[in-house]
Amino acid sequence: MKLLRRNETALIIAIILLSIVIGLKSPEFFTLANLFDIFRSSFVQLLFALGVLIVIISGGIDVSFPAVGIFSGYTAVVMMRQFHWNPENLILPIALAITIGIVLGGVNSIAIASFGIPTLIATLGTSGIFRGLMLTFIGSSFISDIPMALDKFATADLLKIQPAHGTLARLHVLIIPIVIITVLVSLLLNRTMFGRSVYALGGGVEATRRLGISIKRTQAKIYMLVGGLSGLAGILYVSLQRKANPYDLTGSELDIIAAVVLGGASIMGGYGTVFGTVLGVLLISLIKGNLILLGVSGSWQRAAVGALLLIGITVQALNESKKAKNRRVATSDEAGE
Amino acid sequence: MNERLSKLNTGLLADRKITQLMAITALTFGYFSIVSKDIFFTSANFTSMSYQIPEIAILSIAVMLSMLTGGIDLSIVSISNAAALVAAWIMTGHISKSGYESNSWIAIACAAGIIVGLLAGAVNSLLVAKLNVTPILATLATMTLFNGIAIGMTDGVSVSGLPEQFMRVGNGTFFGIPTPFVLMVIIAFAVGILINRTTLGLKVFLVGTNRKAAQYSVMGDRKVIAWVYLISGFLSSLAGLIIASRTSAASPDFGSSYILLAIVVVVLGGINPNGGFGTVTGVILATAVLQMVSSGFNALRFSQFFYLVSQGGVLIFVMILNVVLERRRTSRSISKSLRS
Repeated sequence: MKLLRRNETALIIAIILLSIVIGLKSPEFFTLANLFDIFRSSFVQLLFALGVLIVIISGGIDVSFPAVGIFSGYTAVVMMRQFHWNPENLILPIALAITIGIVLGGVNSIAIASFGIPTLIATLGTSGIFRGLMLTFIGSSFISDIPMALDKFATADLLKIQPAHGTLARLHVLIIPIVIITVLVSLLLNRTMFGRSVYALGGGVEATRRLGISIKRTQAKIYMLVGGLSGLAGILYVSLQRKANPYDLTGSELDIIAAVVLGGASIMGGYGTVFGTVLGVLLISLIKGNLILLGVSGSWQRAAVGALLLIGITVQALNESKKAKNRRVATSDEAGE
Repeated sequence: MNERLSKLNTGLLADRKITQLMAITALTFGYFSIVSKDIFFTSANFTSMSYQIPEIAILSIAVMLSMLTGGIDLSIVSISNAAALVAAWIMTGHISKSGYESNSWIAIACAAGIIVGLLAGAVNSLLVAKLNVTPILATLATMTLFNGIAIGMTDGVSVSGLPEQFMRVGNGTFFGIPTPFVLMVIIAFAVGILINRTTLGLKVFLVGTNRKAAQYSVMGDRKVIAWVYLISGFLSSLAGLIIASRTSAASPDFGSSYILLAIVVVVLGGINPNGGFGTVTGVILATAVLQMVSSGFNALRFSQFFYLVSQGGVLIFVMILNVVLERRRTSRSISKSLRS
């Protein structure tokens, strides 16, 4: 019974139902190629979503991560071209992008942890600053010849399967690091002191302070970690797209926040799971990528994401008020809201 | 007694913030007038600014209302675009070949646009007031939804070729003053009266100052919040109609940067994002400052992206300044009370 009430179960059912509906309408949905495509389009989203999950669990919200991501990815590419760094391996661009991401996340940390600016307003502001700085000083033109290693990585497949008929199915090698990172984030949240303090912070700031956890230090770490994750996501995005376009990723924050919230993370903070987020990202990718197979025009994509998000938060709110009512019954001496 | 005391207090506070803002306005004006005398300090520039200010100002007033209750309305731009699209769609559907359209259809189209705004506002009200969803998330969802519906219905194409009578509103003058500017002044006055002279307005401030206390005083805090988001939707639809009338077009992705701008304006205008304090005058002054910065940057041929940086920079700077000043004030009052 408890399993049924869990958000993850509802998500799995939603994903299965949706797959069946799409599959009935167009059989090409149930091919390995399509499955791998959904994975491939989820990699970058998942990295962003993991960062957003951490922020949301801590009771904040971050809308600057797409700006951080594209800033890091684009700047890393520009720097490598500028200094003619063109190594064979990916370590340099990834390290560069993560470093830039952490620095930008540090700016968020200063605004949020040191000055206590509301997270939405702080990240809205920094997002404008980052995007503007990149377009003014680093470049505003589209780069199509990205460094060789990044370009090659776009087609690095872990396995290729050629079915008897149909298209070649390619599973990108990124699936391994992404799974590792996902597991690491999960361990970080559930098995470390830092993770505990993130949950505690979302549960209540004052209570966390009384526990002896430094609010500022935790927040600073959170936003730097998110910056690093976004930087990594940004460079991988550039690599998978095989081009660096500074105008990209704008507006993608909504899809990712939607995925995390659908995944059951509570926007009030204090609750959220990595598994739920993974499912949320898959659901959003499924809808965005396969709406056309359902016979719905692509221009309704955004409305679909909005409607899903609306359903997600309504369900959450209803559950919350039911819980509150139960609590009130349990402690009937407390005055109602 | 208590109520009078608190009014007196906010009155004094208002004074300080407004004086600060007036100084900033004067400084910005002076700076750009000196630096760019031939482009910024011209009547053509002032006219163009007075056509652009109203849209932002009305949207910002909408954000201000929700922020006064401690919430936020991120869906304003989506609502204004949706309202403009519906109105434009009705208008272009009933235009004759010669480009003539009866005034009654224009009125119907505008009414339809406003109804869209009210409906959208009602959805927000339902979510925030009735279902208790966090305002950020509720309006983020409706922002995506309204925008998505608008894109879906129009396939992302803008509707243009609006009738001339309608365009006259957005581009004409009223006794020599640009009509949108006149409309903005009327709306600002109306909202000013609403928040300062009515019970609803007082309740808005109470809810924003202390939601718990408002709940315990059984003044219908949910109803107050519901009204705020409804009015916010209404104001957004008016802004949408004015934009459509000025540009003679409606598009689902117009002004996507306006949401950042509106929040910058509201915060610069001295509205406390946690609710409970703010003035319409502050919002109007802040809009004027930012419009001057934008026009000034244009006149100086700065890149438009640099304006984006300055918007974000102003937002963060003002917030940090508020925090620092607040801290100094608290520590001062603590040390004062310790001494006595």
